[in-house]
Amino acid sequence: MNLYLENAGVSQGKEVILEGITYDFEPGRIYVLMGRTSAGKTSLMRTIAGLIELTQGKMLFDGKDFDALPTWQRNTSMVYQQFINYPNLTVLENVTFPLRRSGMSRALAEETAHKLIDKVGLGDFLDRLPGKLSGGQQQRVAIARALIRNANVLLLDEPLMNLDYKLREQLREEFRDLLTTARNSVTIYATTEPSEALLIGDELIIMHEGKVIQHGKPSAVFEHPNSVTVAKIVNDPPMSILPAKISDGMLCIGDLLRLRIPMHLVGIPDGVYQAGFRASELTISTDGEVTEQGVVDLVEVAGSETLIYVNTPTGEIVIQKEGIHGYHVGEKLGVSIPSARTFLFNPSGELVVAPGN
Amino acid sequence: MGITFYKRLFLLPGLLLLIAVIIFPLLFSIRVSMSSWNVSRSGLDFVGGSNWARMFSDADFWSSMLRLLNFAVLTTFVQYVLGFMLALYIWQGVKGGRFFRLVWLVPLMTTPSIMAIVWRSIFREDIGAANGILKMLGLSTIGWSTEVVPAIFTIYVAEIWQWTPFMFLFLLAGLLILPKEPLLAAEIDGASPSRIFWKITFPLMAPISIGAILIRLIESSKIFDSIFVLTSAGPGSATETPTYFLWKRSLAEFQIAYGATLALTYLIVMIILLTIIAKVLTYLARPRGW
Amino acid sequence: MSKTLKYVFLSFWTLFVFVPLSWALTTSFKTPDAVNQGATFIPWVQFEPTVAGWQDILGISGYANLIPNMVNSAIVTFFASLISVSLGGFAAYGLSRFRYGWKYYGNSDIIFFFIAQRILPPVVLAIPFFLLLKGLNLLDTHLGLILVLTSGLMPIVVWLMVDFFNQIPREIDEMAMLEGCNPFQAFRRTILPLSKPGIAISAIFCVIFGWNDLFFSLVLTFTNVKTLPAAVVALNGTVTPFWTLSASAIFSILPLIGFVFIVERYLAKGGFSGAVR
Repeated sequence: MNLYLENAGVSQGKEVILEGITYDFEPGRIYVLMGRTSAGKTSLMRTIAGLIELTQGKMLFDGKDFDALPTWQRNTSMVYQQFINYPNLTVLENVTFPLRRSGMSRALAEETAHKLIDKVGLGDFLDRLPGKLSGGQQQRVAIARALIRNANVLLLDEPLMNLDYKLREQLREEFRDLLTTARNSVTIYATTEPSEALLIGDELIIMHEGKVIQHGKPSAVFEHPNSVTVAKIVNDPPMSILPAKISDGMLCIGDLLRLRIPMHLVGIPDGVYQAGFRASELTISTDGEVTEQGVVDLVEVAGSETLIYVNTPTGEIVIQKEGIHGYHVGEKLGVSIPSARTFLFNPSGELVVAPGN
Repeated sequence: MGITFYKRLFLLPGLLLLIAVIIFPLLFSIRVSMSSWNVSRSGLDFVGGSNWARMFSDADFWSSMLRLLNFAVLTTFVQYVLGFMLALYIWQGVKGGRFFRLVWLVPLMTTPSIMAIVWRSIFREDIGAANGILKMLGLSTIGWSTEVVPAIFTIYVAEIWQWTPFMFLFLLAGLLILPKEPLLAAEIDGASPSRIFWKITFPLMAPISIGAILIRLIESSKIFDSIFVLTSAGPGSATETPTYFLWKRSLAEFQIAYGATLALTYLIVMIILLTIIAKVLTYLARPRGW
Repeated sequence: MSKTLKYVFLSFWTLFVFVPLSWALTTSFKTPDAVNQGATFIPWVQFEPTVAGWQDILGISGYANLIPNMVNSAIVTFFASLISVSLGGFAAYGLSRFRYGWKYYGNSDIIFFFIAQRILPPVVLAIPFFLLLKGLNLLDTHLGLILVLTSGLMPIVVWLMVDFFNQIPREIDEMAMLEGCNPFQAFRRTILPLSKPGIAISAIFCVIFGWNDLFFSLVLTFTNVKTLPAAVVALNGTVTPFWTLSASAIFSILPLIGFVFIVERYLAKGGFSGAVR
C-alpha cells in the first residue's frame, strides 16, 4: 500500500512546478514536507490528490497506476489551510458525508462519526453549522472528516497556519496524537514551522523550487542540513550565515574576528567558507569574550522569547534570547560567536561539517 | 470517466446549443450580404462587395448610428446618476425602504413595448395626460410627436423610466457588499459625507459601476420596441436608430441583402466601440494612490 | 444633501414611477367619451368608470381575447428560462472551475462569445431565424420560439453565474471530489445548495427578458403561439381604442409583477450581491 513517485514532474507552460520527485511513501508513517512558501509543497500534495496532472514521471499506489485515476477514485483526504467545511451542513453531517458517499448506512455512519467527533472534542457541537464555529473548531471538524474514512493517503496542507499562536501550540499536540492513529494511511503534512516538523514527523522532506533537496529523520536533517538552503528552511528563527575563512589553525569570521579552530573543524583544509550559527546558540557578549560588534537593527518579541537582529560589518546576525528584553534600535551590542557550534558550508552552500553533539 | 468527460459535460450542452442556433443565422447573413436578394427570387446571386460599398456611403445609416451614440450614452448616464442616488439613499437607510424598493422595481418588470403604448396614450396631443396637465396649468400644449425635441424627449422618458431600476438594483447590490471598514475609518477621522462618498465609496464601486454601464450600453443600443410603438422613428427620422433603420430596410422594404450588410456592420462597430469604452473606463477607474 | 431634499427626490421618483401605471389603470376603466374628451384623471369625479375595456380583452365582448396569449407567453417563457438557467448554469460552473482551451482561445474568450450574443439586436437574426425555423418546421410553434429565446437568455445566465461561482471557494467542490464525488455529484451536492441566490437572480432576469420579447414573437409566430406583447402591439396597430389598450397593458404587466414579488425575498437577502462581482 505504498505511494511511489518516480521522477514525478509538473510543468504548466514554461513554468516548472515540480521536478524529479522520486520517493517511496509507506503507510503508517507521517511525512513532513517543509519548504518556503512556493517551494512546491502544496503542488505536490495537490498532484497526489489528483487535482493537478503529472506532466512527466510516474505515480503508483500499491503497484498500480495512480496518476490515471481521477481524484474521486483515489481515496485521498485533504485538510486545507483555510478552514474548509461544507457550509450548509452541520458538524455531524459534515463528518458523515464521506462515509455516506461510500455507501455506508446512516446509522452506522453517525455512530462512527460520533466517536471521532468526541475524540476531537466537539461532542457538544454536533448540530452547529461551521460558520458558527471558531477557527480551531472548524479545523477540528476538517480533520475529523479527513480521518474518518481511513483514506489511502492523508494530506494536510499547513493546517495550523491560520490559527493563533496559542491555539497552534495546543492543536499541534492533538494533531500528533490523532495522526498517529492513522495506521493504514500514508500521512503527508506540510508546514513551514520546524517545531511542528520535529514534533509530528517520522520523516522530514525538504522541498525547494519544486525539488526535494533533503530528506531523513527530522533530528538528522536538523543536525545535518546538507546546504545553506536547507539550514535556512529548517531553522526558525533563521540561521545566521557569515563569511568565514580557515587558515593557520584559526577560524576567521569576517575580517575582524579570529577564533581558535574548534574541535569539529580540525582537519578541514584551509580556504574560504560560510559559517552558520543558530539563533538560539548565539549570545549577547559579556566583557572579556571575543565578540563580533554590531548595531541593533530590529527587536521582535515572539511568544516568550526575544529576537534581536544585529547588523555587523560581517553580516546580519539573529539572536534568540529567552525572556522579554528591551533592546533598542541603534544600540551597540557585542555578539558572542560559539565556535564549537559552527555549521561550516562551502561557498556554494553545501555542508562541509556540522557540529557534533 | 476522467475529468475531461465532466469538463465537457458541463460546458458543451449550453455552448453547442448556442452555436447551433446562432451559427446558421450568422453565416447566412454574411453570405446574403454579398448578394442582392430581396425575397422575390428563390436563388442567391453573388454581387461581391457592392452592398458593402453602399453601406459606407449611406448617410442615413451613419446618422442613425450617431443618434444612437447620443441616445445610449445620455440615457445610460442619466440612469446611472439617478440609479446611484436611489441606491445610495436606500443603502444609507430611509424610512419605508422596503416599500420603496418594491415599488421602484416595478418598471423593470413591465414590457417595454406595452409600456410604449401607455406612454403613447400619455403623450397624445389631443387626449393624452401630458397635454392635459399642461392645459390645466394654463400652459400651451406641446407637439410630442410632431416636433423633434419633444419626440426625442418622449423616448428618453420611456427609456429612463423603464431601466433606471436596473441600475438601482445593480448598484444597490454593489453597495451592500462594500467592506465597512474604510467607511467607518473615514467617519471616525471626521471626513464629511460628501468627501467619504467621492473619495471612498465611489472609487470602491468602480468595477460594479463599469459593469452596469457596459450592460446598459449594450442593451440600450438594441432599442427597438419603444421606437416602433411610440414614434415610428418620427418625426421624419429624428428618432431613427440603427435597429429601426435595419428593420425598415430589411423587413419593411425587403432589402434583405443590404439589411444583412448593415447588420454585420452594426455588430462589428458595436464590438469595437464597446471594447474601447470598456478599456477606457477600466483605465479611468484604475486605483491611484493619494 | 439635506434630509428634506432627499425625501423630496425619493417621493418625486416614486410618483414618476406611478404616473404611467395609474394613467393606464384609470384609462382602462374609461368610456369612449371619457377618453376622447381629453385628459381625464379621477374616476367618478371626472368620468363614470366602466369595465368595457376589460371585457374587450378577456374575450367577453368578442373583440379580442388575450388570455391564450398570456398562456403562450407563460409556456414559452417558462421553458426558455428553465433551459437557459440549467444549461447556462452548467456552462458557467464549467467555466468557473475548469480550464478550457483550443489553440489560443481560453475561458475568457468563451465567456465573451456568450456575452456577444446580447449585442446582436433581434432584427439582425430575424430573417435567418425565420428561414431556420421554416426549414425545421418549427415556425409558429412553442418549441421554435423557445429555442430562439434560449439563445438570447443563456448568455445572461452565464455572465451572472460565472462570477457567482467564482466567489464560492473551489476548495469546497475539491473536497467533495476527494471524498468520492465525481465533478457532477460534487456540483449537485455542494455548490448547488449554495447557489440559490444566483439562480434566483438569473431566473428573474430570464423571465423578465423572455416574457418581454416582442420581436421574435412578431416575426416567428402567427396564430398559434402569439405571445402577449406581440398580441398587444398588434391590437395597437389596428384602430383599437385606448381604453382597451390600457386594459391590455395592465393585464400584461400583472403576471410578471406577481412573479417577481414572490421571488423578491431572495433579492432582499442580499442574494444579488453574491451574483455581482
